[in-house]
Amino acid sequence: MTGGLLAGYGTFGYILGEFVYPARQQNRGWMFVCAVERLSPGEALDFTAPAGTKIVVARQGAGVAAEDFLALSSICPHLGCRVHWEAQGERFFCPCHNGAFDRSGSPVSGPPKAANQALMRFPLKVENGLLYLEAPLVSVACCPHESGPRNEGIA
Amino acid sequence: MGRIVAWLQERVPVSAEQLAELTNEPVPNHLKKWWFCLGGTPAYLFVVQIVTGILLALYYQPSPETAYESIRYITNEATFGWFLRSLHKWAATLMIAAVILHQMRVYFTAAYRRPRELNWMIGMCLLMATLLTGFTGYSLVFEQLSYWGATVAANISDAVPLVGRFAKQMLLGGDEYNARTLSRFYILHAAVLPTTIVLLVVCHIAQVRMHGVTEFPDPQEPPDRPRYFNFFPDHMLSELIIGLILMIVLCALATVLPATMGPKADPLTTPEVIKPEWFFYVSFRWLKLFSLSFAVISSGFIVGAMFVWPWIDRFLRWITGIEDISVYIGIVATFLLIGLTVWEAAVSH
Repeated sequence: MTGGLLAGYGTFGYILGEFVYPARQQNRGWMFVCAVERLSPGEALDFTAPAGTKIVVARQGAGVAAEDFLALSSICPHLGCRVHWEAQGERFFCPCHNGAFDRSGSPVSGPPKAANQALMRFPLKVENGLLYLEAPLVSVACCPHESGPRNEGIA
Repeated sequence: MGRIVAWLQERVPVSAEQLAELTNEPVPNHLKKWWFCLGGTPAYLFVVQIVTGILLALYYQPSPETAYESIRYITNEATFGWFLRSLHKWAATLMIAAVILHQMRVYFTAAYRRPRELNWMIGMCLLMATLLTGFTGYSLVFEQLSYWGATVAANISDAVPLVGRFAKQMLLGGDEYNARTLSRFYILHAAVLPTTIVLLVVCHIAQVRMHGVTEFPDPQEPPDRPRYFNFFPDHMLSELIIGLILMIVLCALATVLPATMGPKADPLTTPEVIKPEWFFYVSFRWLKLFSLSFAVISSGFIVGAMFVWPWIDRFLRWITGIEDISVYIGIVATFLLIGLTVWEAAVSH
């Protein structure tokens, strides 16, 4: 009797739980950014993924391998707010809890510094002289936005 | 009329005397002081929230494409929409303040001590449910501050050890804020949490009825004077007067300081100055002062300690021999809460 009740209600509870728990989505993919020669060493450009994610792509070295480039997320690793580039202080700044990062995405102050959390780097690859990065494909909220102004002097 | 009453009494065989006996709980004299009537205030404001919430739900559409526009319609176009929305907002603010004050009153008068430990815990659950209702309601506006507030809150839950990731996914309906998140907030705000609050209030009142109201006899009161007065109609009248005053205050606040709307949520740009609702200023400042892990774990520890305070209080009294040790701790904690709140309110970052 007890076993039957537990099995019956347990199955029902399991179905309810599975329904409420969100299904996993495979929402990342490789995207073309630009030809390698488009960026000179020290230059950077803003890239907006289809999901609206803002990514700063910078060239750090003179080589043409993926390691010579850097793709930084604009999402603060502390609590998910968007950072923006402050040219005056030469830093990425998060207005939520005053986190700051240098041009390579390393934390320099605020809670991210205390927890040693750097800006996330997106995977990059170079194929036939073309630069690709792997980023979210599905829109997370609602409204697609155009790319923002170029971040002068980041790289 | 007599036939109707007779028909009704046959089907509901309860006499007026039995009804009076059921509701007429003896109320200790100290409840004649207004400070001790704070328990009824959040209940009254909760009713205001239910009524105004049902009316607002007639027009609100919980999806990222329509939420902001539907609130703009309520605020700017629906007849008396601005007034009802403002009443809802101000009643929420006052309800949260009233629950906090009620809990503080119970704390500082040590009314949580044996045998009322369970009722204290029910009160803590009510406080948490009220704060969550405030948070989810604010998120429904889908303006910049509420969107980023929800994002920050979800990521805070992500930092909770063991269950954090699961809680965040359940709250957002995915790994991050997505097109189905608002409907989750809406269901929580309009169905799950209000139902929870109603059930908790029923348990709370049942506990009060079982144990009676904690008595605080006035030493200057003449010994021959009755120690109790009637709930109905005497105390009921006090509560009704408080309700009337609250309604006047709410109407004045809604008219003088109506609910406004900030810019629509932009998931790609965090505003330069971001603040949560006032009741989360403490947590927000705490997060700025300490690393995420420490802030989350310490906050969880503090809330957990508050839940089991009746036992901590007993232990502290036993170990220190100071009867009012909890009062001193409470004074320090209150100054800390006020200090952090004022600090967060006073500065941009």
